[in-house]
Amino acid sequence: MITLHTYYSSNSTIWILLPLLFLFSGTSCDNKEAEKPRVAVVVSTLNNPWFVVLAQSAANKVKALGYEAKIFDSQNNTALETDHFENLIASGYIAVLFNPTDADGSIANVLQAKAADIPVFCMDREINNAEAPTSQILSDSYSGCVSLGTYFVQEMNKSGKYAELLGLVGDNNTWSRSRGFHSVVDDYPNLQMVAQQNADFDRNKAMEVMESILQAHPDINGVFCGNDAMALGAYQALLASGLDDSVKVFGFDGAEEVVAMIQEGKIEATGMQFPVVMAETAANFADQYFKGKRDFPKKIPVAVEMVKSSNVSHYIKQD
Amino acid sequence: MITDTSTQQPEITKSEPAKTPSNNTAKDFRHYLVKFQSLIALFLLCAVIGLLSDNFFTVANGWNVMRQISVNICISVGMTLVILTGGIDLSVGSVLAFSGAVTAGLLSAGIELPAFDLFIGFTLLGGIIVGMATGSILGAFNGWTITRFRVPPFVATLAMLTIARGLTMLWTNGFPISGLGEGFVTIGTGWFLGIPVPVWISAVVVVSFMMITTKTKLGRYIYAIGGNENAARLSGINIKKVKIIVYSLAGGLAAVGGLIVTARLNSAQPNAGFSYELDAIAAVVIGGTSLSGGRGTILGTVLGAIIIGVLNNGLVLLDVSPFWQQVVKGIVILLAVIIDKSSSKNQ
Repeated sequence: MITLHTYYSSNSTIWILLPLLFLFSGTSCDNKEAEKPRVAVVVSTLNNPWFVVLAQSAANKVKALGYEAKIFDSQNNTALETDHFENLIASGYIAVLFNPTDADGSIANVLQAKAADIPVFCMDREINNAEAPTSQILSDSYSGCVSLGTYFVQEMNKSGKYAELLGLVGDNNTWSRSRGFHSVVDDYPNLQMVAQQNADFDRNKAMEVMESILQAHPDINGVFCGNDAMALGAYQALLASGLDDSVKVFGFDGAEEVVAMIQEGKIEATGMQFPVVMAETAANFADQYFKGKRDFPKKIPVAVEMVKSSNVSHYIKQD
Repeated sequence: MITDTSTQQPEITKSEPAKTPSNNTAKDFRHYLVKFQSLIALFLLCAVIGLLSDNFFTVANGWNVMRQISVNICISVGMTLVILTGGIDLSVGSVLAFSGAVTAGLLSAGIELPAFDLFIGFTLLGGIIVGMATGSILGAFNGWTITRFRVPPFVATLAMLTIARGLTMLWTNGFPISGLGEGFVTIGTGWFLGIPVPVWISAVVVVSFMMITTKTKLGRYIYAIGGNENAARLSGINIKKVKIIVYSLAGGLAAVGGLIVTARLNSAQPNAGFSYELDAIAAVVIGGTSLSGGRGTILGTVLGAIIIGVLNNGLVLLDVSPFWQQVVKGIVILLAVIIDKSSSKNQ
C-alpha cells in the first residue's frame, strides 16, 4: 500500500515537472532556431563580471555569425564541466568555445570532444595539452604581471614595504600572476613584502584583509592585488584609514572602474586584458572551422597591456 | 555586555530537576569552566595573539574587528533562532546578496515599467525597506515550504541558496551595481558617537533579539519547539506560525547584513555573501548552541562571532600563510564543539 502510494505521488510529480521544463527550455521548442548549427560556450564561472563579459561576447559574436549559441556555466567545478561536455556532445553542438576551469583537470573533457570530432577553442586560460584543443587564444597573465612588476619597482623607487593580495589560493591565475610579479620584484632586496594574504578575488574580503594588514603595517608604501576587484577593496580600506595617499595600489584585469580611478590618480596601474578580443577571435575560428578551414595556430597569445597614468586616456571609454 | 552565557535559557528548557548546590569545590570549578567556556576561549585567543603581535590591542584594531564581524553577527543571530527551533538556514548568504542587490538597484536606477510608461524612483529609506522586505519574503518562503510541504530545512534552504543566487545574477546581470550615494554609504563606513555605524546596527540587533528570546512568548515558543516539537504542539503552540516567523526573521537579518556589506563597498557584488552561511553556523556552534535545537543563547552566538572575527584578524596580523589559516579555523570549530559535547555530558 505504501509503495503504491509513493509510486503514484512520484509519478504525479513528473507530470507537474514536465510542462515546467518546456516552459523554461524556451527556444529549444522553436523549430526555426533549431535548424541553425549550435555552438557551445563553456565558461569556468559566471560569478565574476570579467567572465560574464567573456562568455557574453563569445555568445553574441557566435549569434552575429549566424549560429545558435548557448552558455554553460561550470561554476569553477571540473566535474560539472565534464557533465556539460557530455551533454553538448550528445546534443550535437558543432564547436565549443571553452574557458577551462583547470589547466590539467579540463584536458580529459577536451579530449572527449576531440574524439567526437567537435573542435574546441580555448579562451583566456590554457590547458596543459597542446594537441587536444584546435586552438588556444590566451591571455598572458604571467608576462602581464612581469611588466606590471617592472612598473611597480619603478614607482616604488626600488625600496619600501609592500603587501600582496592573492586571489583564490587554489587557482592557476592566482599563481601565474603572483609569480610573474615576483620574478621581477624579488630581485630588489630593498623592496620588502611584509604581508602576503589571500582575498579570493573578492572586493569585500580584500577590504577586510587590507584593514587588518594596515593595523600591523601602517607604514607600507604599496599593495599588489591579483585582480581589480581586490584592488578596489584594498583602496576602500586605505581610504577609510586615510592612507590612500601614501600607499600605491596595483591591480590586474582592466576593469572600467579601475581605469577611471587610474585617471583620477587613485590607483597606480592595472594589466588590461582583452576578453572581448579573445572571445570574438574564438568565435571567428569556430565559424572558419565550420566552413572547412583546418589549420589553426595552436596558440595565440593576446598581450596584456599595462594601463598607467601616462597612457590611461587611451583606455577611457568615450560615450 | 558579557555576562553568564548559559543561565539565559528560559524556564521551559529546564527539563532536568534543579541542581543541588555541590560541596565539591573541584566540581564547582569545572561547573564555572563550562559556564564561561566561550569567554575563556576568547580571552585565551586574545592573550596569545596580543603576545605575538603589538598591533592587536589597539583601539583602531578593536573597531576594525567589531566592524568586520557586524555582518556575521546579524546573520548568526537569525541563524541562532533557526537552529534553536531544530532547523538550519543555508540560504542566508544568497539572500544577503539578493537583498543587497535589490536595494542597490533601486537606489541607483529605480524601476522602469515601459509597458505602463512608468518610472519609480526610490529614496534611501524606501530602498532599504524594500531590500529588507525582500529578505524577509525569501525567508518566509523557506518557512512556508518547510511547514506546508514538510521539506527538511536543510533541503528547503539549500534550494533557496541557489534560487536567491540565481535571482541575484538575473537582477544584476552578473555585474556589480555601484554608485549608491553618500547617505547610503554612511551605513557601512560612517561613525556615530565615536562608534562605527555597522557596530551600532549589530548591537541593536543583538539587544533586541536577546530581549525577544528571553522575555517574550515568541522566544519561549522557539525554545519549546526545539526542545520537543511534539510536546510544544500538544501544549497548543502554533508551530507553523512560529517557524515561518523565525525563517522570515533570519531572511530579514540576512538582508540587514546585505545592507551593511553593500554600503561598506558602495557597491553590490553579485557574488557577495558567498559561503557566509558557514561562518554563521560556525559562530552559532562555537557559541554553544546545540544543532539539535532547544539549547543556546544569542549572547553565546555573539561570542562565537567575535572568536571567529578575532581569529580572522589575528591570523592576518601575524601574516600566517593562507593555507594554514583554513586549517586553524577548522580546528577551532572542532575543538569548540568537542568541548561543548563533553561539558554537556558533565552537567
